Amino acid sequence: MLQTFQKKFYTNFIEDDRWKYIWEGLGVTLQVTLFAVLLGIVIGFLIAVVRSTYDKTGKLKVLNLICNVYLTVIRGTPVVVQLLIIYFVIFGSVNISKIPVAIMAFGINSGAYVAEIFRSGIMSIDNGQFEAGRSLGFSYAQTMVYIVMPQAFKNVLPALGNEFIVLLKETSVSGYIALQDLTKGGDIIRSRTYDALMPLLAVALIYLIMVIVFTKLVNILERRLRNSEH
Amino acid sequence: MSTNGDVLIQVKEVHKIFHDSLHALNGVSEEILRGEVVVIVGPSGSGKSTFLRSLNLLEVPTTGKIFFEGVDITEKQTDIDKHRQKMGMVFQHFNLFPHKTILENITLAPIKLLKKSKEEAEKQAMQLLKQVGLEEKAASYPSQLSGGQKQRIAIVRSLAMEPDVMLFDEPTSALDPEMVGEVLELMKKLAHDGMTMVVVTHEMGFAKEVATRVLFMDEGQIKEQGRPEEFFENPKDPRLQEFLSKIL
Ligand SMILES: Nc1ncnc2c1ncn2[C@@H]1O[C@H](COP(=O)(O)OP(=O)(O)OP(=O)(O)O)[C@@H](O)[C@H]1O
Ligand SMILES: [Mg+2]
Repeated sequence: MLQTFQKKFYTNFIEDDRWKYIWEGLGVTLQVTLFAVLLGIVIGFLIAVVRSTYDKTGKLKVLNLICNVYLTVIRGTPVVVQLLIIYFVIFGSVNISKIPVAIMAFGINSGAYVAEIFRSGIMSIDNGQFEAGRSLGFSYAQTMVYIVMPQAFKNVLPALGNEFIVLLKETSVSGYIALQDLTKGGDIIRSRTYDALMPLLAVALIYLIMVIVFTKLVNILERRLRNSEH
Repeated sequence: MSTNGDVLIQVKEVHKIFHDSLHALNGVSEEILRGEVVVIVGPSGSGKSTFLRSLNLLEVPTTGKIFFEGVDITEKQTDIDKHRQKMGMVFQHFNLFPHKTILENITLAPIKLLKKSKEEAEKQAMQLLKQVGLEEKAASYPSQLSGGQKQRIAIVRSLAMEPDVMLFDEPTSALDPEMVGEVLELMKKLAHDGMTMVVVTHEMGFAKEVATRVLFMDEGQIKEQGRPEEFFENPKDPRLQEFLSKIL
């Protein structure tokens, strides 16, 4: 029993340095997730600014319309399909490495969700804050930057942390464009050793540990923010 | 040079209609003179807040014009932000910035808008805080203050911009009864120092003691006005008589 385990462990991870598929795949997964979240934050922030400006002032009508189309399309279609379209259709004829494509696809996808996080953050700030800023003589933009955004951003930090966790798991479909992320790494080992259980279990375990750790961190952050009123 | 008695704010035939049907202001014309303390009273929903908030264009009139220091601020080209710097506003719910200290609450606008240096703005803020007896709160956050203290800070925050007029919308209505006095005291002091003030309030004592003029609003119009003595002793409008009999 123990011996078969040791043997399987050896063929799956040690032989031919197969652990490298997992290790390097993990690196790719983290890299794609991190930069996709950052891209998503940038996109989501811009969309939230456009949408709440439109809500509050009626300006930016055309941009608001474009944002709504984007939100509807991105949230109405599977992320795998978006990934495939971006890789095979949009970048189909150019030679581009897969990591930036994945970052772009997941970032554009995440942006749609982050936009709603930011927007609800901005909406959650009492309108009195906005009026106090305007009545002192701040412009709309200044009021947003100095008064509304800092409070909104603090409120949405935990939600952004959760978005990172969601994306960490979602990037596991990167294998569709043959990007060797963590999941694909385990799958490659499986195809070499014809043993599905051990490599896939290892992959699942790594995701699980990362999610548990990051969830813990988000919870700590949340508690810290709640305790400090300001 | 401006002197007391000049027209500071002129309101001409202002109408405000919400949602295409609700006539919150129904043809209001009024002048606020420099140095006046005008108190506005009236039943709930009569348009007091809408009137006050249209003076600094927080509510944009549907029709009509508002002049501030001779400039038509309802004109599209007018830089309203510039004029708002000269019109302080105090809200029922204080609206202090919770993510900033008291000192930062007060100095934010002078630093960003009047381009004062941090040292200069803080020096001025500390002087103002001293006048209201809240110097030791400079480093505190709004959540650490009582309601009365918050409202006094909100007044100081407006004063730091050195406004030509102060607008108050029920500044004591959200306060516990024991804290109303300290805010009214500060407002009285402001009035004595010659600040032009427009005050929506239910504090009739304040109106009688401090107001130079009292306006009665009802159904989106100014139905009656006068010096406090005649306004309270000898009301003519039947709705005002009814209103006064209910609250006095
Ligand atoms: N932003 C708004 N949207 C729609 N209706 C509004 C808005 N603001 C005020 N109103 C309506 O306009 C009318 C006048 O309201 P306003 O707040 O000016 O009254 P008020 O005299 O200040 O009353 P209160 O004593 O209750 O504060 C009310 O019927 C109110 O419901
Ligand atoms: Mg009101």
